[in-house]
Amino acid sequence: MPQTSDVMSGLGPVPNVRPTLRQRLVRGIGPAGAAYVFLFPWLAGFLVLTLGPALYSLYLSFTDYDLIGAPRWTGLDNYTRIATNDPKFAASVRVTLTFVLLSVPLKLAFALGIAVMLNRGLKGLTLYRAIFYLPSLLGTSVAIAILWRQLFSGDGLVNGILGQFGIDGPSWISTPDTALYTLVILAIWQFGSPMIIFLAGLRQIPGDIYEAAEMDGASKVRQFWRITLPLLTPVIFFNAVVQTIEAFKAFTPAFIISGGTGGPIDATLFYTLYLYQEAFGYFRMGYASALAWILLVIIAFFTAFSFLTARYWVHYDD
Amino acid sequence: MSYTKPDRRALLAGTAALTLSSLVAPTIAAAQEDANLRLFWWGSTPRAERTYAVADQYMAENPNVTIEGETVGWADYWTRLATQVAGRNAPDVIQMDYRYIFEYARRGALADLSEYRNDALPLEGFEEASLQGGMVDDGLYGVSLGANSSATMIDADAFEAAGLEVPTGAMTYDAMADAVMQVVEATDYEYGMHDASGHEPQLENWLRQRGTPLYTDDGELGFTVEDATEWFEMWADLRERGVTVPPDQQALYQRSIETSAVTLGQAPVSFAHSNQLTGYRELNDSTITMIPLPLIEEGATGGHYRKPSQLFSVSSSAENPEAAAAFIDYFVTNPEAVEVLEVERGVPESTVAREELAPKLNEADQAQLEYIENLGDLAGPLPPPPPAGAGEVEALLIRVSEQVAFGQQTPAEGAEQLVSEAQSILSR
Repeated sequence: MPQTSDVMSGLGPVPNVRPTLRQRLVRGIGPAGAAYVFLFPWLAGFLVLTLGPALYSLYLSFTDYDLIGAPRWTGLDNYTRIATNDPKFAASVRVTLTFVLLSVPLKLAFALGIAVMLNRGLKGLTLYRAIFYLPSLLGTSVAIAILWRQLFSGDGLVNGILGQFGIDGPSWISTPDTALYTLVILAIWQFGSPMIIFLAGLRQIPGDIYEAAEMDGASKVRQFWRITLPLLTPVIFFNAVVQTIEAFKAFTPAFIISGGTGGPIDATLFYTLYLYQEAFGYFRMGYASALAWILLVIIAFFTAFSFLTARYWVHYDD
Repeated sequence: MSYTKPDRRALLAGTAALTLSSLVAPTIAAAQEDANLRLFWWGSTPRAERTYAVADQYMAENPNVTIEGETVGWADYWTRLATQVAGRNAPDVIQMDYRYIFEYARRGALADLSEYRNDALPLEGFEEASLQGGMVDDGLYGVSLGANSSATMIDADAFEAAGLEVPTGAMTYDAMADAVMQVVEATDYEYGMHDASGHEPQLENWLRQRGTPLYTDDGELGFTVEDATEWFEMWADLRERGVTVPPDQQALYQRSIETSAVTLGQAPVSFAHSNQLTGYRELNDSTITMIPLPLIEEGATGGHYRKPSQLFSVSSSAENPEAAAAFIDYFVTNPEAVEVLEVERGVPESTVAREELAPKLNEADQAQLEYIENLGDLAGPLPPPPPAGAGEVEALLIRVSEQVAFGQQTPAEGAEQLVSEAQSILSR
């Protein structure tokens, strides 16, 4: 904030008052220098723990590295193999895209529906909000993944209920055709954090717009489509971007439910799980690094695509 | 670089001092030198308790040695170990698996223990054959902590309830299938046995009975598309007859005692490793007995082998490899250590240790010991260690066996895919 520093430099030395650390710093090294000093704790962490390893992994992606020996430069070999001769890469991209394209829209729709319901000035709103948020806190944990395994296995709760209606279900999590969908359901069930954000967004919509619509005889459904949804598009946009990135990065549920194999028959071989297998199962750190950079590009592509299309459907009217 | 040439007198004095110290050093080293050893292994809680207890005993007898133990489960173990080795922070004593010892030894991560055989590592009671599992290129890079072999686990109570004699020796696959179907008819069990079409040890056993190795000495795939086709056809037939657990339930099996068909109550017969008998008995209420894996035909031999269930290796970066070797020797031969460890890591290799232990074992452990000693013709020589990439081939076998079991591929198509993909993995 430029005003602040102007004000401070305008104050000059004040007798009998010790200048604060910030004032002394600004005087000594200028506002930009002072900013860096205060940024340092975060910046150091970013450089040492994020940027450094990220660049190193970029280097590793051009090598053959098994963790025990030294990395050996192989040029574009890893990338060539991924592009031309890796059926598991193709399989994992297919699984991951299916997961993202199904779970993100369904989760957002579910979150929005619950948020609209909760926004009607219910009694005990905070309690309901907390209850609905709970799965999101637990969702990525190992315990829930294990619970899911129990629910959808051959003699699990789901088949117990289906059995009441005379339906004899398979073991859903270990049948190739259904395994991925149990993970989609798990993702949808964790609708808590987009719901909270939707709820905050709904609160921002001025009530008089609805009153005016009411006067004009618009039905509730029409109000939702013509008022709520358009005014909520910035929030929907935010949630969609964040949830898409999250979905691409999903790992724990597939890892636990398939026992780390991505099975049955690669049905739950998420991209991150394949990456993990290559890195820590078969010790191909170079290859795994190349896979990680490709994932970064894929996510960047989807995010850029969202931002480019945003101007056609996201309305910022203030 | 600046470097002052030492004068003659200093050189002489230095040489004398060195010679003197090298004469005195060994005796001091053995008695006095402080050693700090880090010990890393995978396994369950009972194993951790036993291992810590032996480390404590050793420290009490050797006050100059301190041992720090670390343990995790199998799945996390190899990640951690590789990361520590890469970070130049390897533990001194490393629990090794036969599958990985070649990779680690050839990449220079392990110390050759041959030079300690005369003093710190006499390994009393070890026969040459017992050392073989730890040999890499004529060097000793690991010491076997116990022997095991594949085995069939049987719910003996169910066999009795069906009015059948509980099998005590190896049976053919056909005889086994007939027997378990009688058990299924007479009891609550829905299915007869594990679908082992994706179990690598079982495929290897079956191949060896036919005189074919899983991998050749050169690390190539030992079997052909025809072999694999017959293998998948045999299991497809058993599956159709309802002998095996159906594929959606078999896919839940995670190579653990907890998820096996017997423990889950799906079938009266599972396939496992002999040192897991103890665990099977603990997790099941019914009486579990153990026989060798099924035979391809009456009188078939050589499918089994005595495998080092785990080994102890010493890191090449260990500060005091001699102290590490001495601890390993204590761990596998000292009667007090063996009495604590029992057969939890497999049957001890040292004949002295085995004789010491035999009368003190409970019935299940006794059965394990006898199982290994009485394999006879059923056991053949130790196969060469699996090549790099074998772990990936094992995962491939699981995937292809599932494709066949779920009907996505015929046995012949699966066999074709298994062999061609495995060859591509091994040549990578």
